[in-house]
Amino acid sequence: MSEVLADVGSGESVRLTEVPDGDTRARLLRLGFLDGAVECRHHIRKGPVIVRRNGTDLALGSDLASEIEIERPTTEASD
Amino acid sequence: MEGCHDAGCDASEIAADSTLALVGCPNVGKSVVFGELAEQYVDVSNYPGTTVDTTLAEFGDYQLTDTPGVYGISAFNEEERVTREIVLEADAVVNVVDATHLDRDLFLTLQLLDMGIPTVVALNMMDEAEAGGIDIDVDALEDALGVPVVPTVAVDGEGTDDLRERIPEATAPETTAVEDYYDELPDELTATRAEKTLLVEGDEPLAREVDVGGVMADGGSAALVEPGLREEIYGGRRSRVQSIADEVQTVTEVEGGIREWLSDLMIHPLTGTPIALAMLGLIFYLIGGVVAQRIVGITEGDIFAQHYNPAVEAFVSDLLPEAAWVDPIEFLLINPELGLLTITVQYVVGVLLPLVLAFYLAIGLLEDSGILPRLAVLTDRGLNRIGLNGRAVVPMIVGVGCVTMAVITTRMVGSKRERLISTALLGLAVPCSAQIGVIMGLLAGLGLVWWFGYLGVLLAVLGIAGLVLDRTLPGEGQALVTELPRLRVPRPGNLLRKTYNRTKMFLREAAPLFAATALVVSALDYVGGLDAIMDGLRPLTSLIGMPADFGQILVLGLIRRDFAAAGMTDMALSHAQIFVGLIVITLFVPCILTMTMILKERGKKSALLMWLGSWVAAFTVGGIAAATLGVLGV
Repeated sequence: MSEVLADVGSGESVRLTEVPDGDTRARLLRLGFLDGAVECRHHIRKGPVIVRRNGTDLALGSDLASEIEIERPTTEASD
Repeated sequence: MEGCHDAGCDASEIAADSTLALVGCPNVGKSVVFGELAEQYVDVSNYPGTTVDTTLAEFGDYQLTDTPGVYGISAFNEEERVTREIVLEADAVVNVVDATHLDRDLFLTLQLLDMGIPTVVALNMMDEAEAGGIDIDVDALEDALGVPVVPTVAVDGEGTDDLRERIPEATAPETTAVEDYYDELPDELTATRAEKTLLVEGDEPLAREVDVGGVMADGGSAALVEPGLREEIYGGRRSRVQSIADEVQTVTEVEGGIREWLSDLMIHPLTGTPIALAMLGLIFYLIGGVVAQRIVGITEGDIFAQHYNPAVEAFVSDLLPEAAWVDPIEFLLINPELGLLTITVQYVVGVLLPLVLAFYLAIGLLEDSGILPRLAVLTDRGLNRIGLNGRAVVPMIVGVGCVTMAVITTRMVGSKRERLISTALLGLAVPCSAQIGVIMGLLAGLGLVWWFGYLGVLLAVLGIAGLVLDRTLPGEGQALVTELPRLRVPRPGNLLRKTYNRTKMFLREAAPLFAATALVVSALDYVGGLDAIMDGLRPLTSLIGMPADFGQILVLGLIRRDFAAAGMTDMALSHAQIFVGLIVITLFVPCILTMTMILKERGKKSALLMWLGSWVAAFTVGGIAAATLGVLGV
């Protein structure tokens, strides 16, 4: 089973690969959060996940975080 | 204007009385740039048909509009829809870009240029970029974008003269990459370049409006293009953004420092909760204690009750002739319950104005400092359980001060569903500060156990009502998606301007509503309608084990919540009766001012349902409490 953002711990870098809702995906795309690796700044227990990309911090609610599929970047894939 | 959008304008094409819009992402300093450019404020008002406010001012030959902060031109929320409409109507835009977030903000810039909107870029917060180790080659950015780029530090007025001078140079590249997609649109489509760009990006509101070969597009088939095109175009634009950002900026890693440390503390539940409680405690002390008790005590108690009202009463009595037909007019104007010229003015100016000023100041402070989104993160988990997300924490905070004000702040909550839930909870189970003052006085005489009991019942009702609404209302709760801006010390000038504008708008909207309500209630009172209501309430008062004259308290509570609590202080009641009475008047209908505001914000059907729902909840919970205490023999 694929991993989701809600599984990611603070300090890890991952790629957001699948965002289920079209509008949310477009919003994340606009902000550059689907361009490459994002850093998980904080993962509040049973709460929002705060991800960072190029200095922008974004808080995503826990329900959404449990639906966003992620990929842990390999050395080649990371940016 | 179409010519402008189609091919990009130069200075000579912008006619006098042109419209200029300030566009940018949230928290990039648009309002500060607006304040620097505006020569004369014209208007602050809700954008027609929405609850989003926009500010208009004069600036040279331009009509300048400050738009809500957005990350792109589309229609994901009300702010975006408003900004999109203003941009589509504008002759030129000043795109305020945060120099510390070039990678994020250039998406909007490139979208504006793809749309062919004549643009000047104000590259703001250059001081913060420098402090953050970000070096931007402004000339290279200007070359890459093909439009004027002016570096600014708007809060210090740096670069704004240069910006003012270069606005007439607003332009847009003749062609951009997005034009390749125009072929996807129907051949017979009549649309501007801006509209075509939005249409290939799947802009639904526009797709419903456009003219395709003389036949308006069917409202049911909004998409004129392939569904996946938006993501393809957004992806392409993001690549262009990245390549420009890589080309023009050099980033040296700088330690996050105290701001980042503080931000981390505020988000973490263990440290954030006490910080938030201390902060909110301070705000409540200042608003609930200093403003609501002392300042309002002076404005309402001294200025209005002692001086203004007697003077107006004497003036009106002297002015009106001695005749029977004058009585109803005199009653409507100066009756001691809700006279149009006396008590209504006293409420609006003596009570609400100081509270509104204090609230907007506190909210502005939380907004400008970047604390609000962090509070949303902290409370998201708890609010999820009642169908809300963390953004709903704001109305709840404001509601403990003044529910009427809080109903307005539900505008920032997100979807219609969440606005409905938060408004209903506010109207039902959140007592306002005026009421809390009197309630605390009454509970203090009973003891701490009763106080905790009261709090417990309210929280239980809040939780159950939230759960019921979440389960019964159609649709699903929106997950929290919010940017956490940097923490910063708010600028007093910006804060005061914002507070002034919002207060002015609140009074302009609220005062006529309150006046109309006062006239209706007074008329009802004059013809004996209120007495009839009191009689009709007898079965309900006996249901909750209260004496018949508690009906009078309920009628007072219809008008103002603290009146009801104050009325109870004069009644001879047992401890259990005081406890039940306080629960009932807290859950009982929102005060008449709040009801008027709910009616305006949520519409007739929702307002009526909330009104009836709070009656049912108040007497059901009151009845259960009375029965339980009776069984317990308290």
